[in-house]
Amino acid sequence: MEVSDQQTIIDLVKELVLRLLPPHSNTKSNSNQSLKYAMRILSSRMTPSISIDDSAIAESIKRQLVNEGKSSDALNFADLFTKFSSKSGPGSIKNKWAVIYLLKVVSEDRRNEKKSDSRVSSGFFASTVNGGLPNLLIGDENGDLRKTLDYKSRGNGGGGVLLVSKILNVRESAISEYVNLVKEENEVFEGVLVRDVLYACQGIDGKYVKFDKVLDGYVLGESIKVTRATRIMVRKLCELGWLFRKVKGYISESMDQFPSKDVGTIGQAFCAALQDELSEYYKLLAVLEAQSINPIPLVSEKVHSGNYLSLRRLSVWFAEPMAKMRLMAVLVDSCKVLRGGEMAGAIHVHAQHGDPLVQEFMRRLLRRICSPLFEMVRSWVLEGELDDIFAEFFVLGQPVKAESLWREGYRLHDGMLPSFISQSLAQRILRTGKSINFLRVCCEDQGWADAALEAAAAVGTTTRRGGLGYGETDALEALVVEAAKRIDKHLIDVMYDRYKFKDHCLAIKRYLLLGQGDFVQYLMDNVGQELSEPANTISSFKLAGLLESSIRSSNAQYDDSDMLDRLRVKMMPHGTGDRGWDVFSLDYDSRVPLNTVFTESVMGRYLRIFNFLWKLRRVEHALIGVWKTMKPNRITSHFLTKQEGVVKLQFISTLRRCQVLWNEMNHFVTNLQYYIMFEVLEVSWADFVDEMEAAKDLDDLLAAHEKYLHSILEKSLLGERSQILSKALFALFDLILKFRTHADRLYEGVHELQRAAQPSLSSRGKTKSKTWVGRKALTQRAGELLQNMGNDLNAIAKEYSSSLEGFIAQLPLQQHVDLKFLLFRLDFTEFYSRLRLNK
Amino acid sequence: MDPEAARTARESLDLAFHMSNILDTGLDRHTLSVLIALCDQGLNPEALAALVKEIPKEPQPPPTTQP
Repeated sequence: MEVSDQQTIIDLVKELVLRLLPPHSNTKSNSNQSLKYAMRILSSRMTPSISIDDSAIAESIKRQLVNEGKSSDALNFADLFTKFSSKSGPGSIKNKWAVIYLLKVVSEDRRNEKKSDSRVSSGFFASTVNGGLPNLLIGDENGDLRKTLDYKSRGNGGGGVLLVSKILNVRESAISEYVNLVKEENEVFEGVLVRDVLYACQGIDGKYVKFDKVLDGYVLGESIKVTRATRIMVRKLCELGWLFRKVKGYISESMDQFPSKDVGTIGQAFCAALQDELSEYYKLLAVLEAQSINPIPLVSEKVHSGNYLSLRRLSVWFAEPMAKMRLMAVLVDSCKVLRGGEMAGAIHVHAQHGDPLVQEFMRRLLRRICSPLFEMVRSWVLEGELDDIFAEFFVLGQPVKAESLWREGYRLHDGMLPSFISQSLAQRILRTGKSINFLRVCCEDQGWADAALEAAAAVGTTTRRGGLGYGETDALEALVVEAAKRIDKHLIDVMYDRYKFKDHCLAIKRYLLLGQGDFVQYLMDNVGQELSEPANTISSFKLAGLLESSIRSSNAQYDDSDMLDRLRVKMMPHGTGDRGWDVFSLDYDSRVPLNTVFTESVMGRYLRIFNFLWKLRRVEHALIGVWKTMKPNRITSHFLTKQEGVVKLQFISTLRRCQVLWNEMNHFVTNLQYYIMFEVLEVSWADFVDEMEAAKDLDDLLAAHEKYLHSILEKSLLGERSQILSKALFALFDLILKFRTHADRLYEGVHELQRAAQPSLSSRGKTKSKTWVGRKALTQRAGELLQNMGNDLNAIAKEYSSSLEGFIAQLPLQQHVDLKFLLFRLDFTEFYSRLRLNK
Repeated sequence: MDPEAARTARESLDLAFHMSNILDTGLDRHTLSVLIALCDQGLNPEALAALVKEIPKEPQPPPTTQP
């Protein structure tokens, strides 16, 4: 029934037109014309330009009413609309939305007609606020639209044609309007700006974008008229240019300084890595420049190729390079003054980052940077070579003599230690290289090369260059540990086997520390006579000869000649008044490499101990000498019985006193000797031997030896804490020696008396009268002698006992636990303690 | 039309007339009813609105008003 429908429509339209026309116009022709016009209008717009949603329209109407301040109207309208929509069934309106929309548009039109404002913007504004399409009005307000569509407006009359064409290009006209607006506001085209920005990002000033020193950045000139949004966008994009400038500046600076100031291998590697990254960046910029040649399409045109470049697109492209460049600039800033291992450590700190992009980037960078460092470590650990022209490695070497090579030749420089290598690993690295050098220089051993090869093979890398890189700190650590293990073992083996370290230590103990008893005895016998002379009359040659003879006469002759050769006599520097006893000492000559262990200071300490022991031996020797003279059968009972009562008593008492004193002294000296020999020396030696077995490398060995010496010094009262005690001890020794002289004199006197009192068995005639001394005179002399001696002995005895008491009293105050044993031995019957208590 | 439908139609028209008054469209009841009928036939409401706007101005000379 289309026809009937159409007829209905036509009828309705006719009626509408009739009604709409103002009443007093010329009806017939006007109405026909109007009718035709109406048909044209109707045919031009077949479909509505918005979607069918009546509630949305209602909402917008409500909103508009509220905006106008007619809120009660809005409520009413809402009410009505709900009622209206609820009507359904026969007789109701089917196209409700159409009705509502119609009402809306009509009311808008009326409103707009009432307004006198005819500018474009308000037209736009109003319609956008109303929530519909920008209702480009088919009205006279739209002057601009008229301009552009002017050519269309010619032709057959009426606003009809104009209206139709205007209606056709509504959207496009809006867009071209916008384009004109943009052109008005911007002086410069966007394409030009894009190209300028690309130049800026390579550090070159463009036509409009220049580097401003005051603001320290790339800015668009103030005089150029662009929208604020564009200006800000350009500024943001040029941050990349600023970062680029910084990085490039650093690189060129370093490259310039390279010959004169030492930039160092790590610095160079850093610059090389940065330059690689920059070349990637250049590639990106080249691609972008190619794209920027394509013209930026206007909003109205349809673009088929997407490869144009606007500022917005540029900002998207720049996101990743910006992040990378920022990272590089941060690194450059933090590394400006650093060098060597320090630089690697600082960069490593920056690599601790969660972002995988950053991590990947840093890993690449660090791999390049740390390769010289790792190379240095590798060559140091496997070959002992230290080729470090720029002092970037954390191991520093200095030229020293062979004997101090171990202790002072190389040390760690903590400043250059990168943060990914721990202290303990660094120590191990140092020791390994040191060992190789030590073996090479001091031991003249080449076997370490095999050990190094083995180590490398065990870990899986090679001894060639470039085996390791950053990120493989574990591998490096494994290599170092392996190498250290093997080389240390090799070193220890060399020390023990080739250089017989253990044997030398034993020899020192036997000779310098008086371990070889019989040798010492003979030496004492031979040399004792000589040493009583003043020091400057003694010739060392004679002493050397005596040393030789004592060696030969003891078991020491069967010892290794290598050791015996090193034993020699040493006379310490002496002043006047020194006896030989004070300046005599033995010395052990140790050569490379053993003198790393037995350095000057170490030998000095051995000397001190030797002196002490020698003194002790001397005292012991003296007492034994006295004992020899004190043998009772030397004094004939015959002589004794012949004496008279008083003298006899005196005799016996003096002799007895002498013997008692001797006994005390002997007890003291014997126990002290025992303590020193067994509790101190042997125990320390046993500990030292155990530690020598367990020692893994030379550092351990040195430490063990130190401990050994230190404990000996401490326990034999030679340490710093026992100075008072050692003074008391030496005082006691002096007393004992004095006693010896007195005892000697006593017994000499007695023997003289005895001889004098002898009936002249050996007397001949002529000497009869001379040798015959009267009994009275004899007795008198005896009495005198005994008196004197007795007094002397008393004096000595008193002094001795007081000193000994003092000594024993101070013993418990000592810290060292072993001295308690000495006290126990000296005083096991608590004789002295009780004596003290009784006082 | 049966009375029910007629009633519905009338009420709808009333409501629409009220709404149009609120919106100040200047349409009287009869015109509105014609418009509603045309809408129901499926015509574009935008075109109808254009009609409403233009036709009363028709007798005027071709538009020369240029700002």
